[in-house]
Amino acid sequence: MRPENYQAVPLGDSNEYEIFIGPNHPGIEGNYALKLILDGDTVVKGTTDAGYLHRGFEKLMEGRLWIQNLAIVPRICVPDPAPMEVSYSLAVEEIMGIDAPIRAQWIRVLQLELSRIAAHLFTFGGHAATTGMYTPMYWGVADRDLVLDLFEDFTGGRVYSIYNIPGGVRRELPEGFLEKLSHLLDYLESRQNDYDNLLFTNQIFVQRAKGVGVLSKEDALEYGVTGPNLRACGLAFDVRRDDPYLIYDQLEFDIPTQQKGDAWSRILVRRDELFQSIHILRQVIAKLPSIKGPIRTAIPNPLSWNVPAGEAYARVESSKGELAYYVVSDGGDKPYRVHVRGPSSMHAVQTLEFLAKGARIEDVAQIMFSLDACPPEVDR
Amino acid sequence: MMKKELKIKSNKTNQQKQKRTNPLANVFDDFIDFCQSKSLFMLHYCTGCGAIELPPAMTSRFDMERLGIQPMVTPRQADILLVTGYVSVKTLKRVILTYEQMQAPKYVIGICSCTVNGGMYWQSYATAKKLNEYMPVDVYIAGCMPRPEAVLEGLNRLKNNIKNDRKEQKGSAWKDYYKNYDYYLGNQQNLFGKEWQTPVDVIAEAKLYGLEGEGTYGENTKKLKMVQHPLLPQEMKL
Repeated sequence: MRPENYQAVPLGDSNEYEIFIGPNHPGIEGNYALKLILDGDTVVKGTTDAGYLHRGFEKLMEGRLWIQNLAIVPRICVPDPAPMEVSYSLAVEEIMGIDAPIRAQWIRVLQLELSRIAAHLFTFGGHAATTGMYTPMYWGVADRDLVLDLFEDFTGGRVYSIYNIPGGVRRELPEGFLEKLSHLLDYLESRQNDYDNLLFTNQIFVQRAKGVGVLSKEDALEYGVTGPNLRACGLAFDVRRDDPYLIYDQLEFDIPTQQKGDAWSRILVRRDELFQSIHILRQVIAKLPSIKGPIRTAIPNPLSWNVPAGEAYARVESSKGELAYYVVSDGGDKPYRVHVRGPSSMHAVQTLEFLAKGARIEDVAQIMFSLDACPPEVDR
Repeated sequence: MMKKELKIKSNKTNQQKQKRTNPLANVFDDFIDFCQSKSLFMLHYCTGCGAIELPPAMTSRFDMERLGIQPMVTPRQADILLVTGYVSVKTLKRVILTYEQMQAPKYVIGICSCTVNGGMYWQSYATAKKLNEYMPVDVYIAGCMPRPEAVLEGLNRLKNNIKNDRKEQKGSAWKDYYKNYDYYLGNQQNLFGKEWQTPVDVIAEAKLYGLEGEGTYGENTKKLKMVQHPLLPQEMKL
């Protein structure tokens, strides 16, 4: 640094000063930045600075074949990639007028719920780390790795599986997979007490998280908040139940809600959802062996595959909220236009700015992690 | 004033280098290299997807700490810069600023195929394709995305390179930034525009370390001198 660059900053009339958080900062989720104007340690105004992860996804997809797009679709949201594949596949299937076979739909549900468990375990650790507790991070990441091992077993990929294809799934489940899954679910349930004692009812965490980043139901609806963040405000909206896709209407599960809308409520909703996912997976394990049949509806040769003209909007419930793909085809071998409706752009931009206002500076990181935003999906 | 001081310092270092008569000097050098390779602080700039495999590599299961590598939060105290994934143009500016702030000796690891050649986003308008056009890279870990084992293997290679640096000159890519600054600056200017400048005066540092080469100066550094002016505090906003 050249010394002649240092100049005294003239003080203004007010006591306000501005600082940057990010893009390379341990308190920021991913590659994302915030500019805060502070008075003392209270945030007067927070401005988000997105765009560090912009790759031009929607444009890239217009230049690739329908089948090639499957490779880049899961990369939009890194911690929770499975809903991306499923949503894109559902949209293309809707345009083509085909349905995935029943068995493929059950396997897709299995993949979606496993992915939700992995994403939530990851979030617990991240959220706890912003309050200075690092043990949940170690536990959460270690338990998530067990889920990733199963992913590797049945899809071949640890993080990005690229397992779905319009018309079904690519491979049959390996032998003995459901038993392994059953063991994992037993293990995760046995960890419930440990996690409760360590994190969810731990006073060190509760005192920090209670009453931080309170979002009322009206504000949440106004800002387009979905998913666990909306359910933490007391509104039981879940795409899985209110607009069922795949075979979710045949499954039994609760929609966990909380009333307060603060950071603690949000993490409690995620905790309950994790155990609901385990409940769903148990039903899948019980039902799946009795469902026989193909796992894929035949599609034409993928290299010269023209999807008929039309448009479709397919939405799924990801671990972050409502995720949807709007796909338009003009009858060619490539999409005419693809738009991604990601939950995180609503959470991480306007909602975060709204909640940061008036918060204390040490809570800003916690608010961001409690919203569980996914920066690669904000920028796309 | 400042420039004079720098000159004096660089003369001193040159003299010291000539007067190495201590017979134990090589032993000390080896010992220092050994220690350096066993304790590394790592700054992971989470530029892209690859960052998701770092928490497993750092925490209990794969445990990076047993290699003597720990995450560090500030660039000035870090030894390794991990660039994890594709770098968009907006991010690359910050990566270069971060890299220049780090104290030598410093090492760069490019994780994921995207840092090697653009990877999956080879046709994207928003990303910089090859990282080593903008800064010297020590080790690349290819894959989309590399598994934690691959990350650990890459870090192990870097450790070996550092340990054998004096014999094989493999762990000294950072010297290349000073020796060929003109090349790197030219690529940065092509991407960010001719008025690109950073707060760090790389040429002065090159003089200080005694690492000036023929490639340090050139047409691009001349352009830099034309536009260079002291950065005002307000202008240091990115």
